[in-house]
Amino acid sequence: MTNETTDYQHHPASFKDPSGFVFKANEKYYRQVNKSYAEDYDLLMSSGLYEKLVEKKLLIPHTEVNENLYNSPDWYKTLLPEQLPFISYPYEWSFDELKDAALLTLRVQKIAVKHGMILKDATSFNVQFYEGRPVFIDTLSFEKYDESKPWIAYRQFCECFLFPLLIEHYLKIDVQKLLSVYLEGIPACTTAKLLPAKSRFKLSVWLHVFLQASVNSNNKPTNKAATASFSKAKLLNLIESLQTAIKPLHVKTTIQSTWNNYYGETILSKNYLDAKEKIFRDFVNDINDGRTMDVGCNDGYFSRILAEKNPNVIAVDFDSQCVNKLYLDIKSGAIKGILPLCIDLTNPSPAVGFNHAERQSFAERAKADTVTALALIHHIVLSKNVPLPDVAKMLADLTKKYLVIEFVPINDEKSQQLIANKTTYHKPYDPAAFEAHFSTYFQTERKQVIPGTERILYRLKKR
Amino acid sequence: MKIFLLYIDPGSGSYLVQMIIAGVLAGLFYFKNLWWKIKSFFTKNKKEDTTDND
Repeated sequence: MTNETTDYQHHPASFKDPSGFVFKANEKYYRQVNKSYAEDYDLLMSSGLYEKLVEKKLLIPHTEVNENLYNSPDWYKTLLPEQLPFISYPYEWSFDELKDAALLTLRVQKIAVKHGMILKDATSFNVQFYEGRPVFIDTLSFEKYDESKPWIAYRQFCECFLFPLLIEHYLKIDVQKLLSVYLEGIPACTTAKLLPAKSRFKLSVWLHVFLQASVNSNNKPTNKAATASFSKAKLLNLIESLQTAIKPLHVKTTIQSTWNNYYGETILSKNYLDAKEKIFRDFVNDINDGRTMDVGCNDGYFSRILAEKNPNVIAVDFDSQCVNKLYLDIKSGAIKGILPLCIDLTNPSPAVGFNHAERQSFAERAKADTVTALALIHHIVLSKNVPLPDVAKMLADLTKKYLVIEFVPINDEKSQQLIANKTTYHKPYDPAAFEAHFSTYFQTERKQVIPGTERILYRLKKR
Repeated sequence: MKIFLLYIDPGSGSYLVQMIIAGVLAGLFYFKNLWWKIKSFFTKNKKEDTTDND
């Protein structure tokens, strides 16, 4: 493929589907539609399906750019989709984010079938979170529906959505780590081995997991089944069965996770929180624009304060239950500008996939104008044993302009809990050492002790 | 004629599984509908509309 201008970069994750590809030009992402997909693209636009999906905010809207920007011989159309502020991956989503992405995919599929089209792929990477809700982003995933054929992407849907959800539902484990390894979804045979025996008594689980696993392992590659006739009614039954299987799945919120109810339980609780909020509001008031990231967001108390004035807040925490609770709160509330993600700052998402480029690392994506890190540093230094200079560098790498950070001293009740069973920790760990190491990358603009505690809130400006 | 029709592998058994599942589900929905008809005959309640307005 020739490309005269070096500004036009083919997106490293957009190579699987020959229908077209995504490329970046002048800081914008475009999608080329190839000639081979022309018929399906025209059907998407003329059948009313595109209009319907966009009207319901299920599909990312686009405008057509009548120019062969990439100078490609396969060119049919160039699309400029509405630009997303941040790309997140399924292994960064909490349970209910993955569940809503699954239900969105099925809903899109159902509407597509009504319009004579069908999803030819159903990977979870086709969904992104935008304005507090999942949205389907792959405009080229639709093809003309042949009623005699089953759903080609059924297995992919199960592996990317249903199986991970079932594993988390039944085993009560964070499925994110598994998904970061199984980029194309968790296979049926693996899922069948992981799920407890009692799950077999659920018809939907038996059909979609155990039956599929046994057929996949016993059946030699053949096209006989593919030629047997299917029907629209059968397909709609299948979709409904998947919806019915997914809707009741849940994670137990009664489990006390590490941070769940952190603020509720602490004896510092009310006065401390009020005092901290007052200083925090004062510190972020004039720097809360562009992308703001709340690292170690816990239940999102402070993310919400940021989102009152800023629609582009990313809230991350390593505790997936906290993130899930925040997502559910956002979903039912008025504030939509928060994207909650499961990220462990001491082990963030790596660059994975083909050429290490298909899925970017968290650090490559996550640079934010303002970063807030409240009641976090003692966990990184004292629990995870990361030395202060390394924490300073890590936060400096994430921050473009400002860092609002709370220093929790060693005498603090929470710090004492963390070192209770430790013989040693990285010393010195005190305000003077903190200021010295952070001054390599930042200059201190504001500094205030939170009344009634020895904790200090800083507003630092990147050098 | 489309060359790239099957760009993802549906899996050797995926079509067969869908045929079986569709068969089982058809049976289930038949009995479910029958049950609704019997129930509504006695209770004179209309079946709830479960479609999601799409």
